[in-house]
Amino acid sequence: MNPKLDSAKLGIAVRISRIDWDHMSHDEGRRLREFGLMEGIEVTPLHRGSLFSRDPLALAIGRMQVIIRARQAAMIEVAPTAP
Amino acid sequence: MTAAIPTIALVGNPNAGKSSLFNALTGARQKIANYPGVTVERKAGHASFADGRPLSLVDLPGSYSLTPASPDEAVTRDVVLGQQAGERRPDALVVVVDAANLDNHLCFALELIALGLPTVVALNMLDLATRDGLTLDPAILSRELGVPVVPTVAVRKRGLTDLLAAVDGAILSHQTQATAQPAPPPSDVALHQRAKAIARAATLSETPVRRWTAQVDAVVLHPALGFLILLALMFVMFQGVYAWSEAPIGWIEGGIAALQEAVTAALPDGFLRGLIIEGVLGGVGSVIVFLPQILILFLFILLLEATGYMTRAAFLMDGIMAKVGLSGRGFIPLLSSFACAVPGIMATRAIPDAKDRLTTILIAPLMTCSARLPVYTLIIGAFIPNSNVGGSPVGLQGLVLFGLYLSGIVGALVVALVLRRTVAKGNAAGFMMEMPRYQWPRLRDVGIALWQRAWIFLRRAGTIIFVTTIALWLLLSYPKVPTDSTESQVDYSVAGRIASGLEVVVAPIGFNHDIALALIPAMAAREVAVSALATANAIEAGDDEEAMAQSLSERLQGRWSIATALAFLAWFVFAPQCISTIAITRRETNGWKWPLFMVGYLFALAYAAAGITYWTAVAFGLG
Repeated sequence: MNPKLDSAKLGIAVRISRIDWDHMSHDEGRRLREFGLMEGIEVTPLHRGSLFSRDPLALAIGRMQVIIRARQAAMIEVAPTAP
Repeated sequence: MTAAIPTIALVGNPNAGKSSLFNALTGARQKIANYPGVTVERKAGHASFADGRPLSLVDLPGSYSLTPASPDEAVTRDVVLGQQAGERRPDALVVVVDAANLDNHLCFALELIALGLPTVVALNMLDLATRDGLTLDPAILSRELGVPVVPTVAVRKRGLTDLLAAVDGAILSHQTQATAQPAPPPSDVALHQRAKAIARAATLSETPVRRWTAQVDAVVLHPALGFLILLALMFVMFQGVYAWSEAPIGWIEGGIAALQEAVTAALPDGFLRGLIIEGVLGGVGSVIVFLPQILILFLFILLLEATGYMTRAAFLMDGIMAKVGLSGRGFIPLLSSFACAVPGIMATRAIPDAKDRLTTILIAPLMTCSARLPVYTLIIGAFIPNSNVGGSPVGLQGLVLFGLYLSGIVGALVVALVLRRTVAKGNAAGFMMEMPRYQWPRLRDVGIALWQRAWIFLRRAGTIIFVTTIALWLLLSYPKVPTDSTESQVDYSVAGRIASGLEVVVAPIGFNHDIALALIPAMAAREVAVSALATANAIEAGDDEEAMAQSLSERLQGRWSIATALAFLAWFVFAPQCISTIAITRRETNGWKWPLFMVGYLFALAYAAAGITYWTAVAFGLG
């Protein structure tokens, strides 16, 4: 089991190793790709949740920041970036 | 060689600065309408080339690709493909890209360029990119993309002349050249790789991003602190609506009183004088008085949007909204609904999930819109003491107002929870959106938007409110009460008799004849309740100088118990009293089913809330 983006440490860049496209809707997958979330891309989780909720998750992709839900982040496998 | 004025469409990703560019190009010469059949706003305007030839500009909804995820993105696709009913295919495209976010924005740009229309890329917000340490070469970008690239800083009006000259050139050379065959669309991944490669080629140097915005976000998006900041901002906003509007309201009241005196002096007593003083000035004037408060509220909302804070607020609210089956996306339409539910409901088209969207539409009227402010202000002013809570700087009146807003919000969350488990059952809603960078709000953009809101309000006051107030004045003034009767003019009139019938239904929840009378015309627009009370009181006062001198709130104090006043407030938190909201719901949901459902559940809630408030207050001896 590789670590998933929903439990990745905040502030540390990770590389997306696999995305479980089959378990998300067509539109969800397309919007992720439009945001630039694809295999091989580096992302940095920045902020997670408010008050008593662990949703949502704010990520930095390049110079852009996007917000996704933990449910989608749980379908994104990540690996440490190459040193 | 067409003699027609060329149409140029502005198109690009959300947050590319499209609207600022549109404002800079067209100034205040804008027209906002709807695309036929859909309620997506069509923003159009006029500009001219350097030599004075006119051109027309259309600002298309922000989109990520030509595959739409929501109704407004569908409009963008249909317009650029020439498939939008009633809209000519644009003669040229201006693709607006954020200079600091080329990796992402070039994807859509490449898709659009492949369509084969004359295209110019506006490399926008170049100043912010420079601030972030990026040095870009527009010439390389232009060579790689195969279309002209013009650097622009829309907010400083930089590059606008060059941009229009490039558009002119692109249209001309397109006419002389054979049209290139549109290339088949490449896959998402291939598109991204190409966009990235081009962005890298055009980037001359890149220093690490300056991180002051990250530090701001660390506080603003902090799970607990950030939430407190959001609450504090909302609180300041609602206190501000009260505190800062006092002086301008005084000026407007003074102006109306002066007009009434002038009319009294100029006209003989009779039908026309009564109509103008009691009907027009008394009725419409009592609504115009609230313009300052509405503008202050809109100013806050516009500033929150322009700075980029609104998306942070959506982020913070998403957790709570997820618990009732909605998403943070819904927060923006709902916050807009505090100004008016109509633009709020229209803003729900950005919500991709159908059930999520339906629920947001159904609860939008529970957000306290600005039309309720006149009602709240009048009743609070008359019945809640203007003192501070226990020596603190927090005003009691402001606190009650805050409480009313809060009741609407809590009510909305509960209703959403129930709806998502019953009539609007569906999958957990998603929440994906881009977080814009912080920006200084541009006074010009905020000013234009504020002016548009003020105009919409004044137009409403001049039409719907004007007509219903006059109609009500007529119904209240006739038939004239016989001089030997002990009944008052209001009770004797047509409207008074209708109200007496309604009074039977609303008497159990503490409503008196005045209120029954005000409720009927308030269906047209909530704020009419105030002008209805004002008109009825003016007629009842008649020539009694002492009664005329009393303000409306003084007269209400003498006629209503506190329990009745509180019940009236509770009613207005929930009651669906606005025909425009019902109409827009019908249009957005394509039928009568949901608006009727909405009206039914809101009336039931309003009746119950007013009843419970009244009975509780009576039990505490306030009846």
